[in-house]
Amino acid sequence: MSRTRRDPREEREARRLAGSGRPRWRLDAPPTSGRLRRDPRREIDALRVAGTTRLRLDRTGRAGPLALPTIDTAAVAAPTIRIVDDPAYLVTVVPDAPGGRLAPLDRQLLGAARTLADAGGGAVLVLSFGQIDGLGAAGADRIVALDAESGDPSARAAALAIALAALQPRHMLLPESAGGGDLARRLAAKTGEALFAGAESLTARLATRPAANRRIEQRGAPPRLVTLAPDAHLPHAGAPHEARAIAAPEGRADAPHTGILSIEDLPVAADALPLAEADFVISAGNGITDFELFRALARALGATPGASRMVCDAGLMPRAAQVGASGTVLEASCYFALGISGAPQHLQGVARCEHVVAVNTDLHAAMVERAGLAIIADAQQVMPALIALLTAEGEE
Amino acid sequence: MKALVLLSDGRHPVSGRPAPAGTELQAIALARGLTEEVAGLYAGPDAAAARTALGHGLARLEHRRLPEGDDPLPSLAAAIAAAAPDLVLAGRRAGAGAQTGLVPYQLAEALGWPLVPDVVALTVADGVLEAVQALPKGARRRWRVKLPALVTVHPAAPVAASFAIGMARSGHVEDAPGIDAPQDGTALEERPYRPRPRLIASAAAGASAAERLKAATQSAGPGGRVMVDPTPEEAARAILEHLRALGVLKPAPGRD
Ligand SMILES: Cc1cc2nc3c(=O)[nH]c(=O)nc-3n(C[C@H](O)[C@H](O)[C@H](O)COP(=O)(O)OP(=O)(O)OC[C@H]3O[C@@H](n4cnc5c(N)ncnc54)[C@H](O)[C@@H]3O)c2cc1C
Ligand SMILES: Nc1ncnc2c1ncn2[C@@H]1O[C@H](COP(=O)(O)O)[C@@H](O)[C@H]1O
Repeated sequence: MSRTRRDPREEREARRLAGSGRPRWRLDAPPTSGRLRRDPRREIDALRVAGTTRLRLDRTGRAGPLALPTIDTAAVAAPTIRIVDDPAYLVTVVPDAPGGRLAPLDRQLLGAARTLADAGGGAVLVLSFGQIDGLGAAGADRIVALDAESGDPSARAAALAIALAALQPRHMLLPESAGGGDLARRLAAKTGEALFAGAESLTARLATRPAANRRIEQRGAPPRLVTLAPDAHLPHAGAPHEARAIAAPEGRADAPHTGILSIEDLPVAADALPLAEADFVISAGNGITDFELFRALARALGATPGASRMVCDAGLMPRAAQVGASGTVLEASCYFALGISGAPQHLQGVARCEHVVAVNTDLHAAMVERAGLAIIADAQQVMPALIALLTAEGEE
Repeated sequence: MKALVLLSDGRHPVSGRPAPAGTELQAIALARGLTEEVAGLYAGPDAAAARTALGHGLARLEHRRLPEGDDPLPSLAAAIAAAAPDLVLAGRRAGAGAQTGLVPYQLAEALGWPLVPDVVALTVADGVLEAVQALPKGARRRWRVKLPALVTVHPAAPVAASFAIGMARSGHVEDAPGIDAPQDGTALEERPYRPRPRLIASAAAGASAAERLKAATQSAGPGGRVMVDPTPEEAARAILEHLRALGVLKPAPGRD
């Protein structure tokens, strides 16, 4: 006796549900071949007499044929936006947002502002100098764009002082970073407002900060002006907020300080930067053989060159360039890995990098898994192509 | 040209003994690169820490005596007005106490002087100070301000001169009473410091070791784009586009 041969893939394909998105199957339908499969629970459910708490089954067959449960194949509904219409008070936030993007500390700051606001029905208002992306998802209810013609922090502090007087927020939060910390201190000195600097925990009732070389913890109810230390609060993780733009408060800023003649950003020589300080690192691994080309590419991209341990051990790059557990742990926002497999010791050095780009011949390398953009190709050929493209663009 | 370095009542972070803060010593070195006329200024009860700064290259120290717990600000402002320096240098944070870094800002506001934060290099020409400010990620910013001005010093500034006991002993300390300014009693509650865990956003908080390792080494963002076997030109174009979208690479010239 021979049974018909089953092709499980074909059977499954026959049960594929139409619709977009991820593949879904109607697994409860009878298979197209082979023996009929029974689902006793579903049969019992179909016989159940409605309207009684006790289990009663109707076996006469009046209930009709089994109705297939309908599966909603429509995409999951878009997340709803939370709107705080009539806030009891305001919590203002002044993110650094270098280049119009929220830094990790800015997100944590917005998360802290969210907890302060949600403690009593308040709203989070962002005071921004220039356009910032993704504020709604980070938890902002309102946005006020302030003037930022000059990079002069004392002019910014003056604008913040006007906003502080006009909006009368319950709290004003700034990041304890180079820019935010400076701004907060200027604002505190200008307005005479008490400053709670470098809060390491922050709730509506209690804030703490270290003092006296971290021997003492100062604590108290947070005053109006607070700066938040890095990694002290989690970013907002709930539903996005509306981030409605509203008009800036009226007020006349005083003229900038006459003693300040000019402020200008100096060009950074990327290859002279220490790795720990670099913002964009390009790194070579065992897959790279031509290091002259690699350095030329680093120069063309304006990136700081790094390397994996294999390369440094071989003496092809200086030891100071080693990235990883026994080298430098990077703070860069972007990491470009050429021919690096991504050993755990190496990946530890990249853990804090926000974006990773990898070029590797091996599709299954750990670095490829970690990367936001992975190119499966020979790095030795991609490098000259990159340089050629960059020089062609420069000549245009 | 005359420079004044503000010295706080510092404590060594490990031993707890009187010692000036590191950035204040670096401020002395920066000031001595500009002029020979450098003096220290301290307002407070006990000048033990400020005295050790003499050994790092200061010839003279002005001490304004104050009772314990008084606000040093009025005394400092008065002493600066009396000494009339061209440049006042302060540390980034004091070596003890609340360490808020507010004192230089309040002084600049009280004196009406411009303040340049986090400087790593100074030059002076024709009454104009050129100061280089250190920013994170290795960025630098150049300020040009008219003297008199106030600057705070960044730890990335050149290292301080080492201690020389002969200088410390020959240094001259001028002692004068300061301006009493008792502070109101709305101080913060104080307790022994308790380190707090750094809160890092990841789903793996409290998860198994393997999951935590994964969270520490893998990207937080959505899954990446993978291009398999593109031609080198395609790959190069994709990489440059991606880098520009991230904002780490300047836009191509001739395009916005
Ligand atoms: C205690 C300890 C500490 C360590 N600390 C560190 C550290 O701090 N930093 C560090 O980096 N390592 C460290 N290591 C070493 C680490 O484990 C790895 O050996 C090392 O990172 C591997 O370097 P690699 O990726 O360059 O080389 P490999 O593992 O050899 O990887 C080469 C990769 O390049 C790819 N490739 C080959 N040819 C090409 C091509 N033509 N084009 C593109 N891709 C190509 C391959 O597919 C492969 O993925 C440490 C090890 C130990 C035991
Ligand atoms: N009592 C003081 N006397 C002189 N200078 C001070 C005093 N307190 C603070 N400073 C200066 O101000 C800087 C910042 O101090 P603080 O605001 O207390 O963190 C210090 O590094 C000193 O340069």
